[in-house]
Amino acid sequence: MNSSKLGSFVKVTLLLSTVAAILTGCVNASVDQIVFNEPTEGIGDASIVILGRRHSSDYDTEPEFIECVGDHIAAKDKGIRVVGELEFVNSLYPWFEPRTAPMHPRDIDRLLQQKPVADKMLELNTEYMIWVDGSTERTNSSGSLACGIGPGGGGCFGFGTWGDESNYEAVIWDFTDKAEVGRISTTASGQSYMPAVIVPIPIIAPVQGTACDGIANQLLQFLSEKY
Amino acid sequence: MEAHLLGLMISAPSEKIAYATGLLKCAACAIIVFFLSACGANKVIVEGDFPTPIMTPLPLNIGVWYPDEFRNHEFTDMAKTPQDSSWVVKTGNAQVAMWDVLLAGMFQNFVEMKSAPGHGVMNQVVDAVLIPEIDELQYAIPTQTHVKIYEIWMRYRFKLVDINGEPLAEWMMTAYGKTPTAFLRSDTAAVNMAAVMALRDAGANFVLSFSKTPEISDWLTNMSTESEEVTP
Repeated sequence: MNSSKLGSFVKVTLLLSTVAAILTGCVNASVDQIVFNEPTEGIGDASIVILGRRHSSDYDTEPEFIECVGDHIAAKDKGIRVVGELEFVNSLYPWFEPRTAPMHPRDIDRLLQQKPVADKMLELNTEYMIWVDGSTERTNSSGSLACGIGPGGGGCFGFGTWGDESNYEAVIWDFTDKAEVGRISTTASGQSYMPAVIVPIPIIAPVQGTACDGIANQLLQFLSEKY
Repeated sequence: MEAHLLGLMISAPSEKIAYATGLLKCAACAIIVFFLSACGANKVIVEGDFPTPIMTPLPLNIGVWYPDEFRNHEFTDMAKTPQDSSWVVKTGNAQVAMWDVLLAGMFQNFVEMKSAPGHGVMNQVVDAVLIPEIDELQYAIPTQTHVKIYEIWMRYRFKLVDINGEPLAEWMMTAYGKTPTAFLRSDTAAVNMAAVMALRDAGANFVLSFSKTPEISDWLTNMSTESEEVTP
């Protein structure tokens, strides 16, 4: 590659990086945690399961968020086996439905009194059960955007903005000791913008993604021997 | 040669014009179909996979009879104002699929009856026959409630009868399912998901409440007493 080609490649890369940085909205995030009895040598061959709380009447913990946290943990530490939420809930139906899910670690003993449930739990070899409760809500929105189409072409004009806020809390249950061993909470907020002059340019604040990364990184510190 | 080239020069733009006109017609048709589709009712045929319950089966030989209204159950809500949307939610197939799986896992022996239980009707021999009915179904979507969840609520009426159709118990049970809005998920997909959640909840509620229903509890006690008397 000659110097002029290298120069233009660097210019294009810099331009794309700048555009990518500009097109991402800002997010403020904070994470708090309290943990006890952290496993010092990882969790070995055991598995973990991350479940969403769905008993509240006005919100639902998003399944996509639970999947995001699980994927993040599994990607960062290949040694941790994360059982999928739907797989776990289906294999123990109907004991982890919103109506029947245990609300306290001591309720696990009640479940294990049923032999088929105890056998299935043994088969899944779940060491930690992590309950995530929360949601991402739209806090405000303003502006207007109009799009039109005609014989000469189409286009949009206007400006829209909206804010999102994520609040999640993860509670870690030690399945062997039937006890709560940790609590992690995260909040994130951000403002997204959508200016449009012929073409709409979305500048999206990754609020839920930031909350997912925050909570997953803290869980990794708890579960993984590498972190 | 000159004439041939001239012919090409004349024909090429006219083909392009014809092609562009065709494309425009297709686009216009697509736009018209898109706008007309907004006039029709949202139709959801509920589909889902239902897991087998993990439990010790009750030592009963139970039959189930699904009335036609249950087997073909559909809920219709026609729009009252131009801003509202009409909905048709067909739950019949999903109801039968869910209850078949649930009852097969919940009882030691489970059969679907050939006909409605009654005097002189040729049917399988069972301890009792369960007849489910859907008393009421309600739904809510974010455009109505301004909360970003889709909801389905159902009320069932169950009858437990003997093989002659004589009533043993009758009770009501509710079920509720909800699902949050998600990026690129359509209203119909979300209502389907909420209906599946409501059906799963119905199964969970049935498992929890069946033995605790007073009339069922008495019947189960009588059954166990009778079997003890028969056993030497």
